[in-house]
Amino acid sequence: MLSQQKTISFDTETTGIDAHQAELVGLSFSVTPGEAYYMPVSADQDQARTTVARFKGILENPEISKIGQNIKYDMAMMKWYGVELAGHLYDTMITHYLCEPDLRHKLDYLTESYLDYKMVPIEDLIGRGGKNQLTMRDVALEKVKEYACEDADLTLQMVPVLKKMMHENELDDLYIKIEEPLIRVLCDLEYEGIRISGDFLNEYSKELDKIILEKEQEIYRNAGVKFNISSPRQVGEVLFDRLKVPYRWKKTSSGQYSTDFDKLTELAGEHIVIDTILEYRKFSKLKSTYVDALPTMINPRTGRVHSNFNQARAATGRLSSENPNLQNIPIKDEAGREIRKAFIPRDDDHVILAADYSQIELRIIAEISNDQSMLDAFIAGNDFHKATAAKVYSVAYDDVTSEQRRNAKTVNFSITYGAGATNLSRQLKISRKEATELIKSYFREFSGLKNYMDETVKQAREFGYVKTLLGRRRNLRDINSRNSLTASNAERVAINTPIQGTAADMIKIAMIDIHQTIKEKQLRSRMVLQVHDELVFDVYKPELETLKSIIQDKMKNAIPNLKVPILVEIGVGNNWLEAH
Amino acid sequence: MHPSDASLFQFLFIPLLIQPNRSTMEDKRLFLLDGHALVYRAHFAFITRPLINSKGLNTSAITGFVRTLWDLMVHQKPTHIAVAFDPKGGTFRHEYYPQYKANRDAQPEDITIAMKYIPQIVEAFNIPAVMVTNYEADDVIGTLAKQAEKEGYTVYMVTPDKDYAQLVSPNIYMYKPGRQGNEVEILGEKEILANWDIERVDQVIDVLGLQGDSVDNIPGIPGIGPKTAVALLKEYGTVENIIANAENLKGKQKENVIHFADQALLSKRLATIDTHSPIQFDATRFNLDPMNKEKLKEIFLELEFRTLAQQILGSDAGPVASANQAGIQQSLFGDENPVSVPSNQETPKADYQIAKKNIDNISHNYHLVESDSDIKANRNAKSAKNHQL
Repeated sequence: MLSQQKTISFDTETTGIDAHQAELVGLSFSVTPGEAYYMPVSADQDQARTTVARFKGILENPEISKIGQNIKYDMAMMKWYGVELAGHLYDTMITHYLCEPDLRHKLDYLTESYLDYKMVPIEDLIGRGGKNQLTMRDVALEKVKEYACEDADLTLQMVPVLKKMMHENELDDLYIKIEEPLIRVLCDLEYEGIRISGDFLNEYSKELDKIILEKEQEIYRNAGVKFNISSPRQVGEVLFDRLKVPYRWKKTSSGQYSTDFDKLTELAGEHIVIDTILEYRKFSKLKSTYVDALPTMINPRTGRVHSNFNQARAATGRLSSENPNLQNIPIKDEAGREIRKAFIPRDDDHVILAADYSQIELRIIAEISNDQSMLDAFIAGNDFHKATAAKVYSVAYDDVTSEQRRNAKTVNFSITYGAGATNLSRQLKISRKEATELIKSYFREFSGLKNYMDETVKQAREFGYVKTLLGRRRNLRDINSRNSLTASNAERVAINTPIQGTAADMIKIAMIDIHQTIKEKQLRSRMVLQVHDELVFDVYKPELETLKSIIQDKMKNAIPNLKVPILVEIGVGNNWLEAH
Repeated sequence: MHPSDASLFQFLFIPLLIQPNRSTMEDKRLFLLDGHALVYRAHFAFITRPLINSKGLNTSAITGFVRTLWDLMVHQKPTHIAVAFDPKGGTFRHEYYPQYKANRDAQPEDITIAMKYIPQIVEAFNIPAVMVTNYEADDVIGTLAKQAEKEGYTVYMVTPDKDYAQLVSPNIYMYKPGRQGNEVEILGEKEILANWDIERVDQVIDVLGLQGDSVDNIPGIPGIGPKTAVALLKEYGTVENIIANAENLKGKQKENVIHFADQALLSKRLATIDTHSPIQFDATRFNLDPMNKEKLKEIFLELEFRTLAQQILGSDAGPVASANQAGIQQSLFGDENPVSVPSNQETPKADYQIAKKNIDNISHNYHLVESDSDIKANRNAKSAKNHQL
């Protein structure tokens, strides 16, 4: 019956939320609203494979489109059971995300909002989270059937609603060209995973233990008293009562001193012990959040870590990741950077390659604002921040001081995030007047950028939304607010979203193209991570040069015919840190 | 007050069941909420990620307000409660200082819309809303707080606004709702004196008089900020006394104090909350009554408040039982289960659901396919059906 359909809605029931560790419990299908079929599969994995194999013909048929809510999950699940999901993919979560990037996209929210339908909550079957939560396997078949069929059915019912929204917002192209193919790329990338060196992390953990202990002793010595450094209350009492460090803030509700990061950072230097406490906290956090946590994320089946990439979370269009969250791994701090050493190639025949777009947001700003001054600086290939400083401070390029460069760099990075004089003066520790002056001369030099910002806001006010180069859109409901705080928030989003969003579009296209080429050329190397403006590969050594040229080409030319040159920096090494 | 039948039932029934504990009966806890201030705060608390429902309505302010209200009802167990709102139009302060609050930015549209719902919600909770022409909410709350204190109440002024600090006494507290993971702050005299670094609570108005308040367009004295204000008050005690001793000051400060003396006195007057506004505390009216679940349900449905509807309407926590029983529940059931009361009026769950349709009331054809023969049978049935079509 299913093989005669052009489109089927499809869902899997499993024992867990990690597709790379869960077992399949059943499959549900729907082709007609209000009607669905559920096929349970055995806990015996061989038998389960046999059951799934019966659907191979349908699931791998490229002529049959598949509808799903977060279909990447089901696709990964099927991959573990030997089935490669083929055909067009219509993902209700992602299409809704494209239409309303700032709202929620879970299926129960969608059906309540658009279909006036309340779905059976999963908690009704497996209970609330925690130790006593059941898995789908433990639930009575009749109940699972109803639940699973409802999922496939309601997903199917969402399609006409979303198709209409997608069409009205002119998002079909963006979906077909970028988001749909990206689902497959991300599925493969997640399935591949990346090898983590447990040995390195264990060693590093011990090393951190030692450092933490030393810091502890140092704190006791300098404070002249032993206390529990993990207790904010005791830290407060030691600092402000015993050591008489001046306390300038309100106490917390319970009458305690607040010793959070911002306050201690502001006080750093007033007493040596404060600096050490900050370091103690930094190392403790590093150890617990990353060094000790990463090994627990290693998948027992594969011995690798399989980050989950979320394609429908960040409203700007960027990807986010979790388990582990790669965006959070510290980059500025040396001790934090060490974590990247744990990410290693699969074996001795492979190396890690990291490819990073250089200053991509600034280049996109130059491109979309068409500011000749900015474009010239990038085309000349000079140090962009230094070139900016030369213009803003009216000095020769070679006479720019390091402080001038630093200031220019800060302005470059914060101006399109809407930073005003107050913000800038705080960041640069200069007077408000100086900051105002700096912004003024910045916009005098980059008048094209100023025009772009004004024009973008004007258009956003007129249309109520902004778009990226490739049509990704963000609605700005507050842009015409009479309240200036509310309106200026929306203005910042209006200016920043096309830049962030275009950077997102660009790396997504590069990922799709590289993935495609690797497949076509039947290479053994694999893309394994995406974070910020960077792609990470596990490269088979004999393919290194081939890979480098593919990556350079596809990343540079992701969006063709740009005026601004795109620069991609590629590094290779025996771990992610070496490659970066 | 029009208690619903169900709550009327409880009202009659529960007191018969339960032997009240004397000490909890005497515990009189009045909560006075500053409506506008709480709504503003809630709106901006969600500003980077506002809550928008499917109709495009920004519900941040309403959600935040209801959460604050519910949280204090469950955890603080008020016996008496009221919400004060600012009246439309000017107040007595504008009569002698037309520029008062004149620098205020336009109210965000989302707040204007939220303010249409808030009074309805307050009414549905069966909480009295109070508003006095010509007086601001803080004057109303100040007046009620001082009156209730005399009648033996412990009063909590629920507001994020620092100006209320001047009203705090041994029986009157500021209750600042939690925000972004921060806990609720309850500030008594000790905390106020420490936070402001002053000796007497009423010096709050002297600090405000000296430093001014740009939010309300209160000028103060040029060149005097919070630190200088506190230093001067430590020496001279009040604005009046600082002016009287201006000769002892030095340089520019002396000049400013002399030159802007009237402005400082005006500022102090503007910052002073009037505790004699025309309103009378009424224990019966402010008694916490059971909420009107039907009405709340209607409003929550319209706003698409899924979680809150389930929390508030689905639970028997807090003031399902009338306020007087809040304490009783504890004495009856002990500490293990302080808020659950056996419910004689449990409404079916589906009643609070936002969407009307669900698996139980919509016809559907969900099939279990277990074997190869099932698949074949279905295939045949299906193709037969297709042929007919």
